[in-house]
Amino acid sequence: MLAYSLKKLLQLVVTTIGVVMLVFFAMRLIPGDAAAAMAGDTLSGAALERLRDQMGLNDPLLVQFWNFVRGLLVLDFGRTLTTNLPVSDLIRSAAPITLLIAIATIILAIAIAIPLGTVAAFMAHKGHKTLDNLITGLAMIIDLMPSFWTALVFLLIFSLTLGWFPASGPISWDDPYSIVMRLALPILVLSLSQVAILARMTRTAVLEVLSEDYVRTARAMGWSELRVLFRHALKNAALPIVTVVGLSFGNLLNGTIIVEAIFTIPGVGTVLINGINSRDYQLVQVLMIFYALLFVFINFATDILYRALDPRVKF
Amino acid sequence: MSNTAITPPERADITRFFPVKTVMALRRNRFLSNSKMIGALLILAPLGLLILCAPLLPLQAPLQTNLMAMMQPPSLEHPFGTDRMGRDIFSRTLEGVKISLQVGLSVAALALVVGMLLGTLAGFFGGLIDRAIMVIVDIFMAFPSLLLAIGLIAVMGTGLVPVVMAIAIADIPRFIRLQRSLVLGLRTRAYIDAARTVHASQFWLMSRHIVPNSLAPMLVAASISAANAILVEASLSFLGLGIMPPAPSLGNLIREGQLYMEQAWWISTLPGVVILLIAISFHFLSDGMRQALDPRSRK
Repeated sequence: MLAYSLKKLLQLVVTTIGVVMLVFFAMRLIPGDAAAAMAGDTLSGAALERLRDQMGLNDPLLVQFWNFVRGLLVLDFGRTLTTNLPVSDLIRSAAPITLLIAIATIILAIAIAIPLGTVAAFMAHKGHKTLDNLITGLAMIIDLMPSFWTALVFLLIFSLTLGWFPASGPISWDDPYSIVMRLALPILVLSLSQVAILARMTRTAVLEVLSEDYVRTARAMGWSELRVLFRHALKNAALPIVTVVGLSFGNLLNGTIIVEAIFTIPGVGTVLINGINSRDYQLVQVLMIFYALLFVFINFATDILYRALDPRVKF
Repeated sequence: MSNTAITPPERADITRFFPVKTVMALRRNRFLSNSKMIGALLILAPLGLLILCAPLLPLQAPLQTNLMAMMQPPSLEHPFGTDRMGRDIFSRTLEGVKISLQVGLSVAALALVVGMLLGTLAGFFGGLIDRAIMVIVDIFMAFPSLLLAIGLIAVMGTGLVPVVMAIAIADIPRFIRLQRSLVLGLRTRAYIDAARTVHASQFWLMSRHIVPNSLAPMLVAASISAANAILVEASLSFLGLGIMPPAPSLGNLIREGQLYMEQAWWISTLPGVVILLIAISFHFLSDGMRQALDPRSRK
């Protein structure tokens, strides 16, 4: 287990270095440079050159890279080009909101999808095709609905027509009620597609396990169907489900960018889109790295968890 | 006796008793008897026909504004209604579908070709080439796909070509991985060994054995990728980072309608339904292809 974890950790480190290099050098490929892009038509000649000096763009590329990496290591991400705010402050205020949305979505999706998928598998196993087909068909359609469209339809129905949730308004940590009301719809929208993916995976995994010998044995011992289903079958189907939760985390991060834009939530996604629109490359490169590292770390954790959960894997 | 001489039976006679079918005929039958393929065709064929015939239909041109007919709800004249500048949403949607299909097909083709090339090299040669390719693949796969596309757009700028490139680059690593795993499976097959024993060159092995035998699963992956690319393009355009207005794409149509959700629900919702239909049909297409191309699947 330790050897495996170390190997994965080494891979994590290599990938991290790669991500930082890719983002840094890709940002240098931008036609013109960050200074020109930032200044637009407002500066020219000597003024632009002064700005370049100020931003360190005239240093050798490797020196620039070293300064960038050193900044990342001590969590000093520099200042935004347009508003001159510390990037770390922006992340500190935006990240908790995005993470809250992501975590709440995962919990909600698991709570709905696993019973739903298990029931679908049970129905398929017993030959009751109608309910199973209904659940799998719905899951497919929901999975294919573009999340920004679902979000707009929800906004139209629940905020604008029914008025249950506010469509805009401040989000303050001192006011938990406002957080719940503002984040409820985005979390609901995001969990829909997660439920669709997870329920289908759960159905497949449980259906496979249901024809195993130990399930038949459990039945023969006279356990109730419910106990067999949830204690014996679901427990053994848990492994592929864990993997899918981890893998769909990337999807989830993609989704947060979109729902934040629609519900005007000041999360990391909104900061990123604003950064791109105002050509604030300092901000954009740090946020790209933030997202990538979050994703890579979740994948790492999923890998380790999978190994830890499976008693059959020998080391 | 000459008139009783035995003549070989015509080919048609043989097939009457032993129904021989060519591989292509079998495949064709599998494609056409597949309910999912038919479902996909039932959505895509009329849509394609509509796009082709759009200039002939009595529709307002996609960019034509009409200040006498702003924000009109769906009617016979404007099936999807009009927007705040009186442009016809239906003809704009058709134009958007055209862009969506262009993006979907180009991304799938690009990802398929580059993915097969690099995946075959990595899987077939192994060693240092494999290591180098896979490290780069891992780095690209460290980004959630939409985020990577957004980052690439930030570097390359907006517009049709950058959008196609960005989505394809975000998708290629997955193709490389799939192709590589297929090649690793094929590499040890007996027919590869047989070809090696008669001194087949590396290029011959790859082009005549490896690539054709890995094509079927890769084509299925490409059709999924096309559906995915259409959704990503819509998302990018929706975020204002894809196809820029006034050119209509399904994503920026929805973005434009977002501001008028309360007064004019049709601007955003109806193009969204069209995206959903296209995505479902490509999904059916990939399921149908999987069943039709897999020689082991029997119905």
